[in-house]
Amino acid sequence: MPIYKAPLRDMRFVLYELHGGEAMTELPGFEDFGRDLVEPVLDEAAKLCEQVLFPLNRSGDEEGCTLANGVVSTPKGFKEAYDRFRDGGWTSISCDPAWGGQGFPNVVSTLVEEMICSANLSFGMYPGLSHGAYNALARHGTEALKEKWLPKLVAGEWAGTMCLTEPHCGTDLGLIRTRAEPKDDGSWAVTGTKIFISAGDHDLTDNILHLVLARTPGAPKGIKGISLFLVPKYAVGDDGAVGGPNGVTCGSIEHKMGIKASSTCVMNFDGATGWLIGERHKGMRAMFTMMNTARLGVAIQGLGIAEVSYQNAVAYARDRIQGRSLSGTKAPDKAADPILVHPDVRRMLLTQRAYTEGCRALAAGIARELDVSQRHPDPKVRQAAEDYVALMTPIAKAMMTDLGSEVANLGVQVYGGHGFIREWGQEQYVRDARITQIYEGTNGVQALDLVGRKMPADAGRALRRFFHPVQAFIEAKVEDERLGVFVQPLAKAFVRLQQATAQVARAGLARPDEAGAAATDYLKLFGLTALAHQWARMAEVAYARLDADGPDTFYEAKIATARFFMDRLLPESSARFSAVMAGGRSIMEFPDDAF
Amino acid sequence: MAEINKVAVIGAGVMGAGIAAHVANAGVPVILLDIVPKDAADRSAVAKGAIERLLKADPAPFMSKAAARLVTPGNVEDDLGLLADCDLIIEAIVERLDLKQSLYAKIDAVRKDGSIVSSNTSTIPLAALVGGLPERFAGDFLITHFFNPPRYMRLLEVVAGAATRPEAVATVSQFADHRLGKGVVRCKDRPGFIANRLGVTWLQAAVVEAFDRAIDIEDADAIIGRPMGIPKTGVFGLLDLVGLDLMPHVNASLAGSLPAGDMFHDLYRPAPLIEKMIAEGYTGRKGKGGFYRLNRAEGKAKEAIDLTTGAYRPQKKADVEAVKEAGRSLGKLFEHDSAAGRYAWAVMGRTLAYAALLVGDAADEIEAIDEAMRLGYNWKKGPFELIDDLGVAWFVAALERSGLPVAPILTAAAGRPFYRVVEGRREVLRLDGGYAELVRPDGVLMLADVKLTAKPVLKNGSASLWDIGDGVACFEFTSKMNSLDPDTIDLLQKSIRKVAKEFKALVIYNEGSQFSVGANLGLALFAANIAAFAEIENLIASGQAVYKALKYAKFPVVGAPSGMALGGGCEILLHCSAIQAHAETYVGLVEVGVGLIPGWGGCKEMLARWQSLGRLPNGPMPPVIKAFETISTATVAKSAAEAKELLFLRPSDGITMNRYRLLADAKAKALSLVEGYQPPAPPTFRLPGPSAKVGMDMAVDGFRRLGKATAYDAVVSSALAVVLSGGDTDVIAELSEDDVLELERTAFAGLVKSAGTLDRIEHMLMTGKPLRN
Repeated sequence: MPIYKAPLRDMRFVLYELHGGEAMTELPGFEDFGRDLVEPVLDEAAKLCEQVLFPLNRSGDEEGCTLANGVVSTPKGFKEAYDRFRDGGWTSISCDPAWGGQGFPNVVSTLVEEMICSANLSFGMYPGLSHGAYNALARHGTEALKEKWLPKLVAGEWAGTMCLTEPHCGTDLGLIRTRAEPKDDGSWAVTGTKIFISAGDHDLTDNILHLVLARTPGAPKGIKGISLFLVPKYAVGDDGAVGGPNGVTCGSIEHKMGIKASSTCVMNFDGATGWLIGERHKGMRAMFTMMNTARLGVAIQGLGIAEVSYQNAVAYARDRIQGRSLSGTKAPDKAADPILVHPDVRRMLLTQRAYTEGCRALAAGIARELDVSQRHPDPKVRQAAEDYVALMTPIAKAMMTDLGSEVANLGVQVYGGHGFIREWGQEQYVRDARITQIYEGTNGVQALDLVGRKMPADAGRALRRFFHPVQAFIEAKVEDERLGVFVQPLAKAFVRLQQATAQVARAGLARPDEAGAAATDYLKLFGLTALAHQWARMAEVAYARLDADGPDTFYEAKIATARFFMDRLLPESSARFSAVMAGGRSIMEFPDDAF
Repeated sequence: MAEINKVAVIGAGVMGAGIAAHVANAGVPVILLDIVPKDAADRSAVAKGAIERLLKADPAPFMSKAAARLVTPGNVEDDLGLLADCDLIIEAIVERLDLKQSLYAKIDAVRKDGSIVSSNTSTIPLAALVGGLPERFAGDFLITHFFNPPRYMRLLEVVAGAATRPEAVATVSQFADHRLGKGVVRCKDRPGFIANRLGVTWLQAAVVEAFDRAIDIEDADAIIGRPMGIPKTGVFGLLDLVGLDLMPHVNASLAGSLPAGDMFHDLYRPAPLIEKMIAEGYTGRKGKGGFYRLNRAEGKAKEAIDLTTGAYRPQKKADVEAVKEAGRSLGKLFEHDSAAGRYAWAVMGRTLAYAALLVGDAADEIEAIDEAMRLGYNWKKGPFELIDDLGVAWFVAALERSGLPVAPILTAAAGRPFYRVVEGRREVLRLDGGYAELVRPDGVLMLADVKLTAKPVLKNGSASLWDIGDGVACFEFTSKMNSLDPDTIDLLQKSIRKVAKEFKALVIYNEGSQFSVGANLGLALFAANIAAFAEIENLIASGQAVYKALKYAKFPVVGAPSGMALGGGCEILLHCSAIQAHAETYVGLVEVGVGLIPGWGGCKEMLARWQSLGRLPNGPMPPVIKAFETISTATVAKSAAEAKELLFLRPSDGITMNRYRLLADAKAKALSLVEGYQPPAPPTFRLPGPSAKVGMDMAVDGFRRLGKATAYDAVVSSALAVVLSGGDTDVIAELSEDDVLELERTAFAGLVKSAGTLDRIEHMLMTGKPLRN
């Protein structure tokens, strides 16, 4: 039986010891979110995830969603779990109190999201999509629209979706064909077909609010002619009562590799009544403003999968006995030693652990800056934080989902043949993780976003928010007696990253294909350097704690994991660096016909 | 050929006063006369007032204060006697034939034999001006048509009459070319001469077509602008600049004087909206606004007029699909199936067809027409160069399709280009269908011509080295805005080695519109953003080393700037053996504007110059203070003459008035230095040390309290003060060049890591304006 225990100790470490979470209360609007309020919330979230959501993970995967007579049903138990989730207030945790939300900082809700993703990624899709719709509507909707729709969305009584993709276009949304015709009363009639709509239809809520990208009559060609509309599944009267159908139907549900308990729908809009969100033709801008949060959300999915896969792999490796240790028997009372003793198994487990904890530290840091970018009274500080978030978002999304997959695969490997067998649960994580590398902008698109948009913008201003603090950290700590062993490898990777950045910027200016060809390797080099920075800092914090409070296995393990990361994982940065510096010729000069 | 050593200008209006100022810029004494105002206490008040206005005008008509002292004001009643020893008398009074002729009679009575009289008329035929006047006068008379403002506009149209002495024409042309720096274009005695006849027709076509087709003015300016190498002010922006009220006069004059059947008449018709605007004071930038305006009631909102409704609306950013799709192909733009494409052709097809019709009428030579539009309207390419880009055959076919006239010169071309290069010789088409060689006048050498046949001696992405003959090499910046980057420094280093082995002398020169805007800030900021500080420090150190190598090279190095020479572009000049500068050179060490200090030896050289050339009181402080004043305020000399006052140029450095003559002058200067050339002796410095630094800090603090300096100004000034005062030194210690260079490096490295500096650089890059943080 798979297991899951929320990593609360490590979460507290990341939040309070690494990123100074107590200072969060200094941000306007966050005055109440001291440790005394935050920690019980994390404990409660852990309970819900471990006891309610996690037990439905395997069964949900086996059963999947069904479409019968135009009605989509979620797997057994999901509706009850959702009711508990909603009644516990979890749909509103980071929403604006003005609309009934609890206004928690992003850095806290990010940790809660991680638990949900570890426990049951498919389940998390439903509130996750609602939250995306909430963000778009809250930021771009008119007051009237917000007053009518937001409170119930925040309360979880209604759910939301994002309807972007169409049969012929995914990444390139300029090709969208769904159209919206103006009606006399100021609303619009929306007609078209959307595919791959997560949570497009289900039985968890009374109504579903679709945010739909569509083209209005006479709109400019391409991406500049797209507008965003709110289209509910059911009409809602002025009294708030849910009325009849609104011309929105689920045509079919997809049969997928993973996240099977999340309904992925073909949605048909047939003259459905909708309302414009934001300005006409500015639909993509409205989408972009929430892209950072949505992409960070997917990064967290990768992290969540990695954590649960690691926990199970460790449990299995302790339990499973097979062969004897190369250095002599370790468990003479048993027929064989636990596989935990074998170097390669240890290598796999440590790889899982180092990536998982590193990503958690990085993600929480980004979420913390996201809070600063939204709350800090000084506009310059807000801008700097926003730059950092914008820069790190594609890195987090691509690297953390790639690592989520990698870690899940290692989890299967630790199990050996049993990893391949469904009832052990490990293979589900591989399947569930796979989509995270694709949706919300494929990881290739994330890499392009990094080199094509974030890097050159404002002569590299966003880069400053990463490079300067890391440079300062290296300068301050590189000669530190204990920390030197962590900071020196970081410094090496950092110099490579600087050189690669200059190279990609220079080459990309002359020939965009060069930047495109370097993008994925460059992103990984960047991501590994960012993880190395987090690990060096975690080692620093751990040493300080040990100095202050005496021996503690938690901190000792931190330092040991940091050492493993520097010794065994960071060296990949050197290979990525070589690949970047080799240039794109071997990619671009290969004849198309020879493929 | 007679020399012109003294000049008179009669008529102290905008043009007359501007011409007088520019004659003074050439170092020639000039008498400026105007009428005696009614009941005036000072009978020369008009001319004196004009000089006052000249001194306040921006951009400045004078190149230096010394030039202003060469202008003597007077009036036409008491001071006509002053004309007696003038070699050239320029009339620039109101455009009325009777007044001009009666003035000519008075002038003729006092002027000396052999003196030359010219008129700045733009509308009255020469034949009419000399009608009935004595033979002696007609023989000495010609038209010299200046463009406004006379200092800055390089075109001078010269019209000679049948009776004009050829020597008089030659004398004036020589003077205008060498001393005033003008591009002289000979025109026939036809209405509007060349530039205004074609230019006004072009403007009129653009305006009329925009009205007819309801084109937004922003789009019109984006179409009839950059894509054809026309300044970005386009048409409506240009009209705002010159004044809307000028147009009806010029139009009426052309309409009244051009013969029936001239294409201009098709375009001449009333424009009620423009008349209304003029009546209401919307005459352009000098009035309440024009086609564009700043609506101060709306917090300086930028607005543009709607040609259809006549109402102002918020200015939009031009976004013309046709321009984007056409890219660099003018033909594609003209053929673009859109309102913008059709507008572009309607305007330019007609304009270019008209230009061709002018051959044989306004001038016989097409190169004269091209030059007139380049220098008179700042077109990058003249009309015949544009037609060559389109292809003569394509153009003729397009004219025929549109029912536009095909001029004889186009028929003579028979599909061949107007200009061609044969074995390195530039040739131009003549009306008889043959080609004539285009020969540069003596003393004109263009790098562009060298490039026709030669390959660069050395070259990379940011610079080239050329062989310009007689053992002289020319180092050319080739990057965007001629900004300096690691490649520039690298090639300069290689060039020094190459020249030492294979040449006698080096000239640093280019034909961009700016000599150099200084270091590439985008690259610098990017490097700073990724914390690549070591690389930045390397670039500073290598720049210092290479500039020093340039200074102590065993061959002479002559810097030949024109336009802006800022920051690192100024510092390279400071390291040259000598300078031959175009008069319109704008030099300055402007680093503090982006939160930096000169790091490529600029501080060191300015100290050395004020020390040795400054004619200052004794002691270590005065040179330091002078250098500090210049650098800490980012002072930019507004002319080569002013650059001498600020010691960016030495007293011995040369100034060339005519842009075309710059390279030849610089080359001659370099060759004159070759014989027995010795590199300069390295300077040493005795600097006052920390106490002087405190003094400079206090001065800046004072400015800060007055609100004239910002908080970060104080930080940057303080870093500069450390360098200029010699750091931790005292007057007894002797510092070497390298000591001061090290101080520059240290100060620079400290600043480039500071957030205040990065904010300044970023702001400059994003907005083009300095940040006052």
